Amino acid sequence: MRRVRTALLSLAAVTTCAVMEGCNKNPATPASSVVQSAALPGANHALPPAAAAPADDGNWTMPSKNYAATRFSDLNQITPANVSKLGLAFTFSTATTHGYEAPPLVVNGTMYLITPFPNYVYALDLTKEGAPTKWVFKPKPLAASQGVACCDTVNRGAVYDSGKIFFNTLDGRTIAIDANSGQQVWATQLADIQKGETITMAPLVANGKVLVGNSGGEMGVRGWIAALDEGSGKLAWRAFNTGPDKDVLIGSRFHPYYAMDQGKDLGVKSWPPDAWKIGGGTVWGWVSYDPETKLIFYGVGNPGPWNPDQRPGDNKWTTGVFARDVDTGQAVWFYQTTPHDLFDHDDINEIILADIPWGNGRRPVMFRPARAGFFYVQDRRTGQVLSATPYGYVNAYKGVDLKSGMMIPNQDKDPKQGRVTRDICPAAPGLKDWNPSAFSPQTGLVYIPHNNLCMDFGAMQANYIAGTPYVGADVKMYAGPGGNRGALTAWDPINRRKVWEIPEDLPAWSPALATAGGLVFYGTMDGWFKAVDARTGKLVWKFKAGSGIIGQPISYRGPDGRQYIAVVAGVGGWAGAVVSAKLDTRDPTGALGFTNAVKDLPMKTTAGGMLYVFTLPR
Amino acid sequence: MSSRFLASVLLTGATALALAACDREERHSRAKPIGETIPAGESPDTIWPGGTPAPALDARAKLYDNNSPAIAEGQFLYMKMNCVGCHFHGGGGMGPPLMDDEWRYGGRIDQIASSIAEGRPNGMPAWRTKLTDDQIWKLAAYVRSLSGQPSKDAVSSRSESMSATTPQSLTPREPAHTSDTAQQ
Amino acid sequence: MTRLLRAPALLTPLLLGACDYQSYQSIFSGDAATEVHQFNILFVVFLVVCAVMYLLVLIFLATGILRARRASEAANVVESGRHNQSHPLMRSGLIAWGALVSVGLVALAIASFFADRSMAQAAAHEKLSITVTANQWWWDVQYNSGDVSKTLRTANELHLPVGVPVRITLHSNDVIHSFWVPSLAGKQDLIPGRENDITIVPQKVGIYRGQCAEFCGTQHAKMAFVVNVDSYADFLKWWSHQLQPAAAPTTPLAQAGYNYVTQGQCSSCHAIAGTPAGGTVGPDLTHFASRRSIAAGTMPMSEGNIYGWVEDPQSIKPGSHMPTIGMEPKDLHAVVAYLETLR
Repeated sequence: MRRVRTALLSLAAVTTCAVMEGCNKNPATPASSVVQSAALPGANHALPPAAAAPADDGNWTMPSKNYAATRFSDLNQITPANVSKLGLAFTFSTATTHGYEAPPLVVNGTMYLITPFPNYVYALDLTKEGAPTKWVFKPKPLAASQGVACCDTVNRGAVYDSGKIFFNTLDGRTIAIDANSGQQVWATQLADIQKGETITMAPLVANGKVLVGNSGGEMGVRGWIAALDEGSGKLAWRAFNTGPDKDVLIGSRFHPYYAMDQGKDLGVKSWPPDAWKIGGGTVWGWVSYDPETKLIFYGVGNPGPWNPDQRPGDNKWTTGVFARDVDTGQAVWFYQTTPHDLFDHDDINEIILADIPWGNGRRPVMFRPARAGFFYVQDRRTGQVLSATPYGYVNAYKGVDLKSGMMIPNQDKDPKQGRVTRDICPAAPGLKDWNPSAFSPQTGLVYIPHNNLCMDFGAMQANYIAGTPYVGADVKMYAGPGGNRGALTAWDPINRRKVWEIPEDLPAWSPALATAGGLVFYGTMDGWFKAVDARTGKLVWKFKAGSGIIGQPISYRGPDGRQYIAVVAGVGGWAGAVVSAKLDTRDPTGALGFTNAVKDLPMKTTAGGMLYVFTLPR
Repeated sequence: MSSRFLASVLLTGATALALAACDREERHSRAKPIGETIPAGESPDTIWPGGTPAPALDARAKLYDNNSPAIAEGQFLYMKMNCVGCHFHGGGGMGPPLMDDEWRYGGRIDQIASSIAEGRPNGMPAWRTKLTDDQIWKLAAYVRSLSGQPSKDAVSSRSESMSATTPQSLTPREPAHTSDTAQQ
Repeated sequence: MTRLLRAPALLTPLLLGACDYQSYQSIFSGDAATEVHQFNILFVVFLVVCAVMYLLVLIFLATGILRARRASEAANVVESGRHNQSHPLMRSGLIAWGALVSVGLVALAIASFFADRSMAQAAAHEKLSITVTANQWWWDVQYNSGDVSKTLRTANELHLPVGVPVRITLHSNDVIHSFWVPSLAGKQDLIPGRENDITIVPQKVGIYRGQCAEFCGTQHAKMAFVVNVDSYADFLKWWSHQLQPAAAPTTPLAQAGYNYVTQGQCSSCHAIAGTPAGGTVGPDLTHFASRRSIAAGTMPMSEGNIYGWVEDPQSIKPGSHMPTIGMEPKDLHAVVAYLETLR
């Protein structure tokens, strides 16, 4: 009886605390509940689920490192004590100069690199000195696809599974090539550039399925996620994110937790007639997978157009998170982070799977540092929001009502057609955009590289012509409070607070890497590759690369047994387009408003595409 | 003739001449002629082998270049046909900037019109079937004004959107250069 | 009293070709809508009070002139200090006049207050919400609904249910326009960057003409619209019919027209529900042929007028944003055949 009451009190405490700011109390946990995990380090904090985060074999086979998306390497040779000796092992020029967002993959002595358009795949032989090229695969995507890619012609990564490398091309194909020979095994055309669709995301391979989603939320496309059979490339299922239930694969398994997401054919009813056909809801970000429940989790992009007055209604199923069965695609639950999104706050950020102490045992949850500015902790079985805490400055929303799950908007910041609404924080790229954070089971912290940007937003009527932008907004972004445009924040997801933070002059647009050696690696847009102590945030090493860094750093064990750190430096993406696309800084609205925020970037860095691999001296 | 008579004759003649010099620009509501008027791909900047002379500026260009109603209609079309979605207010984004002095495919009005009508290989859509040639010429006239080429009295002094760039009537005039420092 | 005011001699009738509007549109036409009705009552009150005062003033003036003439004709009277003495009735007359004026003004103020209040009360519980966005030179009309999937976008025509208060929210995409249906309500401006609104409670079934009442450019004169006031049942039928997507073409000629419209210049600006055409620059054409006029009241709807408009809009409404394409005759026949199927 006492345990039940304590558990209930803990539940009440967490719920109350999530609503109140600055409440730092840990839910009360009776001592006996941690008996089973007392032997593990970090037992009092979050841990990734073992099935989704298996032991590290020294390789890096998928961009998120594992299905739980920890981006944590178990290698511990490089520590804060010896990192000052970290030096270059070798370099490699990818011969491209657009934004480089992908991580290198390392599989048993071979490193694989995928470039932005034209999406070359290189294989480097790590067993030989200087890592010579084994082969190059050139998929030759259509040059016209560059004209419908909103935010630089990037590619967020390839993935290795069962002897094959899987990746997407900008012109909408998913290709599987043999990892040894570089020969194409199959290629499937999934997206149509004539409609404005492209594919930039890194696929996920899970349970024999290759999961792929489209891009084009700014081009009036209809968003979807598809699963291809790993062996043949044939389409197994495709689930749209707008439209009638049968297109969205909503059936008897679908049980959304909150009332706002319950109803029939909401993907049609929450839009003006036919607006859902060009309503966006793309899947251009990250997919996570729980092998125990065979569920994939992914976030959905923004509704189109950006001008909200043209699409009254909740605009389901955009800017939310879906859980689907990996084999059939049937939806299991959905949570809409921002119904009737007003600010292009796509919900596609990484979803980190973790088990957190809860009452008597552990609760399976997900961590989501969302674009809207809140760090969500949600039960991954149901989608219930356990907490939603701002991890930076937010004035566009007043908070999340945990009872109804709804985001409480700030009416003052409502964009209206024909007017300019000023000082909206976070800006359209959100408090954090696609670049994923890393989660260290050692420290229990999530390392979030993110933005500190606010914007002015002028909404105007958008005209739909297939293959052209469908936006309807003039945007101008600038630094948020404090003047720094970005930061790396170490966040405690259980206590819902910042542990330390490193402000950055430029938006922190690179992903983070956490290692068991106790280090966090990340890059800055002007080319500094930095290592900081994971516990204290103290800068312990840095290196100036030839171009800004927006790519995922990785750590792997080389054939000689040493720990290596690798990253490709090539500034670009939405934030760096002013450099990679040579935009004119005299127009602040360029690059959907980003030009104004990084007018100084062309003086601080130049375009590039160079791989840097570091290690300790012998 | 008396000197007064002579003076009045001269004054009348001078006034008539002065008034004749007031050239009110022509606002035409229909293209002249209606139909296909944009040449495909002819450019003075490519190499014309064997001594062929480069093509002269199309005679129709006069109707649109430096023509204020044409530039105003071009501004309307630039926003509505989503040019602003890729090129923004000249700064560029998905598409290259239009307000600088570097032109991959030429910055003369007939070259710009040709780029709009034909499309270009790295992502510029082809508008020949979606817009009339008159509309494309007007868009080309407006695009030239983004980089400060038409005369200041013809350009629009305000954009119909959020105040962002310096008004075109205040920016200095810049000549165009054909160059492609952008890499594909 | 209001019948007297309808005398054509006082007012200029507005006729529109072969349309079956009322013979004229007038803010004095009496009882087509609640606001107009209230306005007319108020007008009559003002007219009566002011007419009475005016007559009195004329009478006093005439009296004054006649008395002065008689006085000067009477005798050459030498100023003897009599001018200091006022007429015995002067003081009480002035007081009476002042009282009369005050009473008159108070009566007008009270009448005005009651008229305003009843107009506002009639508008207080609006049941229908419409958003009108004015463009140069056409009206974008959107019917809003609590169920957003029943939102209806149409152009240049309003259908209103009789007896139901309707609130029309007014926006503009470019310059200042003004929304005026003389038989139903007064004017209200549509100002870019600002949201205005006007509430109408129509009381009589009929067809009324409205127009833009604020100079907005070269074609301001050809920016009219039609208001159909129907019974509630007819209105709901109309709304659900308008929500239907465009019927698929059945004849080869209409099919060729469909191809041209959706693949050619038309779909850059126009939207037709149920087809790939999704342009928002010009009027929605899904039920184009069911409207009474073409190009915002410029011409009545007829096959010949559709031909003329599609072939050469610049000769009918020069300066409007719809271009003269210079279509081949076969394309013109196809496009018009298709447009006529969009009922």
